[in-house]
Amino acid sequence: MKVNRMKLLVGGVQLRDGVSTITDLLGRILSRAGLHVMALERGFASTIYGAHQYDPLVITEEPAVSWGDEALDILVGLEYDVDPDGPEQPNRDSVFRHGRNLVDGGVLIYDSSSGAIPVDALEARGIRVFAIPARQIATRDLKKEVVKNVVMTGALFRLLEFDRDEQWLRRLLEERFGRKGPELVNLNLEAARRGRAAVEAILSQRGWSNVGYRLEPRPTPAPAVYISGNEALVIGAIEAGVRFYAGYPITPASSILEFMEDHLPRYGGRALQGSNERESIRAALGASAAGALSMIGTSGPGLSLKVEEFGVSGVTETPLVIVDAMRAGPSTGMPTKSEQGDLFLVTGGGHGEIPRIVLAASSIEECYSLIHEAVLLAETYQCPVFFLTDLNLGEGRMTVPEAVFRSGQGAVARQLATEQQAREGRYLRYRITDSGVSPRLLPGTRGGISKINSTEHDEFGFVTTDPPKRVAMMDKRMRKMTKYLQNDAKPPQVFGQLGKGPLLVGWGSTRPVLLDAQKRLQAEGINAAVAHFTHLWPFPTALAKSILEAGKPVIVCEHNYIGQLAEIIQAHTLVAVRRVLKYNGRPFYPAEVVRAVHEVTHNGATAVRLGGKDPVMVEVSTDA
Amino acid sequence: MPEATKSVWEQNAAPRHRIQWCPGCGDFAVLNSLKAALTTLELTPTEVLLVGGIGCSGQIRNYLNGNSFYGTHGGALAYALGAKMVNPELTVFALAGDGDTLAIGIENFVHISRRDPDITLVIMDNGVYGLTKGQDSPSAGLGHPAKISVEEHPPFLDPVKMALTCGATFIAQSFSGDPKHTTEMLVEAVRHKGFAMVNDFSPCVTYNKFNTYDWFRAHCEMVPGGHDPSSEDAAWELIRDFERREKLPVGVIFRKPREKAPAKRLPMWQAELEGIDLEPMLKGLR
Repeated sequence: MKVNRMKLLVGGVQLRDGVSTITDLLGRILSRAGLHVMALERGFASTIYGAHQYDPLVITEEPAVSWGDEALDILVGLEYDVDPDGPEQPNRDSVFRHGRNLVDGGVLIYDSSSGAIPVDALEARGIRVFAIPARQIATRDLKKEVVKNVVMTGALFRLLEFDRDEQWLRRLLEERFGRKGPELVNLNLEAARRGRAAVEAILSQRGWSNVGYRLEPRPTPAPAVYISGNEALVIGAIEAGVRFYAGYPITPASSILEFMEDHLPRYGGRALQGSNERESIRAALGASAAGALSMIGTSGPGLSLKVEEFGVSGVTETPLVIVDAMRAGPSTGMPTKSEQGDLFLVTGGGHGEIPRIVLAASSIEECYSLIHEAVLLAETYQCPVFFLTDLNLGEGRMTVPEAVFRSGQGAVARQLATEQQAREGRYLRYRITDSGVSPRLLPGTRGGISKINSTEHDEFGFVTTDPPKRVAMMDKRMRKMTKYLQNDAKPPQVFGQLGKGPLLVGWGSTRPVLLDAQKRLQAEGINAAVAHFTHLWPFPTALAKSILEAGKPVIVCEHNYIGQLAEIIQAHTLVAVRRVLKYNGRPFYPAEVVRAVHEVTHNGATAVRLGGKDPVMVEVSTDA
Repeated sequence: MPEATKSVWEQNAAPRHRIQWCPGCGDFAVLNSLKAALTTLELTPTEVLLVGGIGCSGQIRNYLNGNSFYGTHGGALAYALGAKMVNPELTVFALAGDGDTLAIGIENFVHISRRDPDITLVIMDNGVYGLTKGQDSPSAGLGHPAKISVEEHPPFLDPVKMALTCGATFIAQSFSGDPKHTTEMLVEAVRHKGFAMVNDFSPCVTYNKFNTYDWFRAHCEMVPGGHDPSSEDAAWELIRDFERREKLPVGVIFRKPREKAPAKRLPMWQAELEGIDLEPMLKGLR
């Protein structure tokens, strides 16, 4: 019997079958019950309706190390056919696509309203199959198709011997539908009961006492939320003092805009849906210049459109936090698939040279905590600060203890000149200083005026092409990065003992999987360590070099083709690195990372590309 | 009019910035009209934000006192929008040319007209890209009958019709050859609570040899006294009537205040940002 330890996948037809209705309900209820749910892998398509959608959930008692491998314990298929005799049989999608990942002895539960699926091969592997006509029960018995997912939830709860007294489900339904009267709550509870009964019938017919998996609520669950990275980021940004946000609808950053629109006005702020990507960033620059802590969010295609404004932020020294929830490019790419392909864009995008800072969150908690740092750095260095997440981190959800959000990090310290300061010294918006940071008086504050200028300018802000003034101003701006490297850059987070074996290096959402791979390598007797970067640019060479030099060898794992961090590391530290690369739209799985490490350490591969047919070993050389 | 306010706007920006427009440029008159308007409005330089477009006209921000912002080509209105949303206490101008506003910045012209922020757009309209040596702008061809059209030289785009279509709530036109009238238009535009556009014909003496001061003097005609600017129908009729007679209306063509939600300055000072309650955001996530 596996208790509170399983990977479950819900699949169905996008929008029609409400895959995320079930996973959201499960995530919330299980989080309340003190369990940990990790749903950082999102399988949806760039259509509103009709494509196959799937959401894997990892359910554990303690926080899971990672999302694990593709192997599934429980598969829930929600598909049905409108025309069971038609040539297209989408109701087999979940089973056909994911059935082979079910472990021996696993469980398949599917909607059999439009016919049974041949499952002999699965049953031969000891998989227990539950054909539940959920849609039929909903439409024929309860006269309400929409409750078919609650039928399925009830069935799933019975399978997992969870919520026998309906307490957890009832409470959630009452919160959600209570205002509309008890009928809706009762209808949903009845639907869940029908689901339970259907499972009960199969259990007794097959003579099974249980299915080998069970969920048990924890005795004293600590308060927790079931939250996405985008939501965590919004909470962190608003707490840090962001009061102006602008975005343009784009997957996977739209939910930042939506959550901002829901909440920012409550805190006196405003969220603007731009008429296009450029209006968003320009309005945010105007907003920042006028005094608000400002932030924008987008994904790669949108960021490409904003590139000219990076320079405006850099040269006018107007602070701006730019969130890039990365998705697979180039161009429109794979809009609903995750990737880490934008590192070069944010470290180098734009003509000319500007001071800029790039941070990347490696977990949902860090979306909350690190965005605070991003806002502070923008305010301190008066430059663009890029904040990288990706689709899986931004749209994925997991259980996070509420205590994380009660740390009271507060608003960042504003660094603005006062009227008195401006009057005491002659106020110059672009005064040449040792740190490179100039005094900033907000328009509207008396004591001076600011000529905020994206053309090269003198200390006052007037246009100049005078060579010495140009050099002085360029040097002043770039000095801010020296100052940043001295005061605020951070080395990579290091896990495990350095110098004993291979060093797995990563950034962004791959941290869980690298830690999982490290654990597995440890079990094989390989002392791997992990170095995970959050502060990517300016690259913290002085802080990172000795760590990287201890890797034997250094293996950089990234979701892109070139190995963008690998290139940066080599250029800045002269440490030769090996690369493990995956760009097929799926996250790394720990087993394949382990396999890739073997390819590097045993077979001398300098780059391993995962996620095609087989791991492809390329560029073998003996001297790297 | 207080003397102190007068002198602060009469002098050029401090420290004095050398003016780099061709002698006779229509933008000089706009600069003088702006100074006069700001003096009349009794605004001080700290209360003003001048957002410049790219081109000769955008340089005007440096020839005036007052805070200014200068970004990319076509962006003036969008920066102005954000600034005004954050701090409604600022008097915000977008000062740009016809190329900046009607070509590369047309997306902002269309949508920010719709949004109706309380900002004043001054287009210094001369029909050419002067700074890059005289290429056609979208308002090139003014007064030329568009008989045979080729893709390379499309017909004239009228900012007045454009603004009316897009929902601008104050639309006026003026001519640099009559700076007193331009001043009046600017004052009325700033006083209008909403998005105000003043399209000022500011001849380019170097690159536009057709739309000259004399040409504008012969073609500009005051909006008749009986015109009802609050009526959109009347505005369209006026535009068509002037078109038929091959004249250009100067004066207030349309003015209709839209009900505006009262805007407050966003929290930006430390004390305003501290100690917020996160519970409302966490509540929906349990």
